[in-house]
Amino acid sequence: MAILTPGTAIGTELPEIAHQFRLESFKRGDAQTIHTDMEAARREGLPAPVATGPQVAALIFRQLRMSFGRGWIEGGKCQLSFRRPVYVTDFCVARGRVTSSETDGDGARLFCDVWIENQKGEKVIAGTASGVVAA
Amino acid sequence: MTTQPARIAEDENGPRTTYDEIEIGKKLGEMDWLVTEEMIDTQCQIDQDFDPWYSLSSPWGGRIAPPQISYRPPRWLLSRTYNIRGLFCGWEMENLAPVKPGVTLHVTATVVDKYIRNNREFVTYQSEAVGPDGAPVFRTRRTHVLDVVERDAPRAGKGVDSGIKAEKI
Repeated sequence: MAILTPGTAIGTELPEIAHQFRLESFKRGDAQTIHTDMEAARREGLPAPVATGPQVAALIFRQLRMSFGRGWIEGGKCQLSFRRPVYVTDFCVARGRVTSSETDGDGARLFCDVWIENQKGEKVIAGTASGVVAA
Repeated sequence: MTTQPARIAEDENGPRTTYDEIEIGKKLGEMDWLVTEEMIDTQCQIDQDFDPWYSLSSPWGGRIAPPQISYRPPRWLLSRTYNIRGLFCGWEMENLAPVKPGVTLHVTATVVDKYIRNNREFVTYQSEAVGPDGAPVFRTRRTHVLDVVERDAPRAGKGVDSGIKAEKI
């Protein structure tokens, strides 16, 4: 199932995916990492433990799976920049918008802006994504 | 009295890689990676994403892995050559075919760039995985900053964390 179709209007918003992160979300066994341990983070120059980038970006990937369906799994593309640290107790929401489309076989490749905001409304991850949707 | 910031010099896995040691064009090696049901379970748990395609069944016959399961093997290859803790700051991915349990993927990676920006040092590498038939399954390009602290700070001290991780999902 995909939400987007070849006829989806430019400007259509992708579904929002929100998540409240917790320190426990980043624990892997007993390892002390910059994602779980204050001293490990401080030594690297961070004020506090930070979320793992892929775990935060996963909110965008869930959004893209819902939006493109098969077109995310086969032929989906994205390009993300991690602009600001996400701290391990931040609230994040993934947002996105269709920006353009082009014909691709019997369907269309839709291009989107995608981003994640923290609880302050700051964009912590931003980029673009695309996928093919069938007619 | 203030403490001068420093870039970590070493951790339990040895010295941190310096910018000068990174070689553009360096092959990061290759690995055969058998994707298991347990790895998919773990990835879904980590991401708290229990999409039926990832948990039960999909249009490809049986469950598939979330595409982002592809994050780790290229990172493991980077870690086999370089000890870079830093932070992950750029991720390009192209999903070409579903990642399925019980299938062994052949993964290769190469350093493609390094640069300095905002007084920090960055490395970019790219990777591709192919299935048993040789067809590509995913391609990716990643950028990591070597240190959070700016590059004109001295290297000193030992880190608690390391750039070299256990090779498991």
